[in-house]
Amino acid sequence: MTDNLYVLGVIVAMALVTFALRALPFVAGQWLQQHPLVHRLGQFLPLAIMTLLLVSSTLGAMSDDPDRPWLELLAVLLVAVVQWFSRNALLSILLGTGAYVLLRNFG
Amino acid sequence: MLPDSPAKHTSALTLTAPVAMGYIPLGTVFGFLFVQAGGEWWLAICASLLVYAGAAQYMMIPLLAAGMSTASIALATLIINSRHVFYGLSLLNRLPASRWQRCYVIFGLTDETYSLITTLAPGSNARNMLLVTLFNQGWWVLGTALGALIGAQAKVALLGLDFALVALFCVLTVEQWRVRKSAAPLWIALLAFAIAYPLSARHAMVISIALSVLAVVFLELLRKRSDGVQP
Repeated sequence: MTDNLYVLGVIVAMALVTFALRALPFVAGQWLQQHPLVHRLGQFLPLAIMTLLLVSSTLGAMSDDPDRPWLELLAVLLVAVVQWFSRNALLSILLGTGAYVLLRNFG
Repeated sequence: MLPDSPAKHTSALTLTAPVAMGYIPLGTVFGFLFVQAGGEWWLAICASLLVYAGAAQYMMIPLLAAGMSTASIALATLIINSRHVFYGLSLLNRLPASRWQRCYVIFGLTDETYSLITTLAPGSNARNMLLVTLFNQGWWVLGTALGALIGAQAKVALLGLDFALVALFCVLTVEQWRVRKSAAPLWIALLAFAIAYPLSARHAMVISIALSVLAVVFLELLRKRSDGVQP
């Protein structure tokens, strides 16, 4: 991550993709609204993608810490339970990350 | 909304206060992790100014650190942010008329800005919409700058701070689960991942998303066919 030009290129590419996605409905709104498959994907993809991101990032964290893979599972469970009952994203993230960092470094 | 709705009387700044409570700390975590991963502090701020998408910006840190190609990171961004396509659909006729204001509001259409804009009264002026978008991005950039500066000062040797990312995805999954119409996306995604991971651990994410999309297309075709059979 030391090549600034590479990082800048990635930032510009990500900016273009993100803007294109946000602008697409304003350019092709009629078409998108009429297409049933687009509707289906819109209902299906958010939960599917979040599940995949959660699973793959958890596996990534586990591979950094191969001795105690249950730590990551425990912390993810803590975040899920706190979020389910509190609906406070910041609280869940801070509690989960705090508990994980403590266990990882001093546990 | 009723003409005397409180949203009309509340200033844009107060309206964005709850977003500030979330964006400043989350932006700080992003800036901090970005710098700790070896990025320059001003590039972290650039990312928050130009990309301005929470989950995608968190994701970019490990991908940049791994030196993934620009095209793969762009594809990953496309996948993570694809849900944003569906936000615009409900705002089609409600954005400011001025071209530049319109462009900026579309650019700044994050999850939180979207939900604030939908609570503004339909007759609410374009200036309010623009200010809400502007303040929200301001909080995010402010947080990023804070985190990047802290991260550049102190090279903390705490393991596992990047778990914040996993926690963020966990929160988003819980919220998607809460509003689910069916549990199928979760099970299909898990099944797809179980197939994709042994094939290639590196590309498991992209493969499983492709498999999930194929599953939706297949189910849609089945549904159409069974609809067609009925009289």
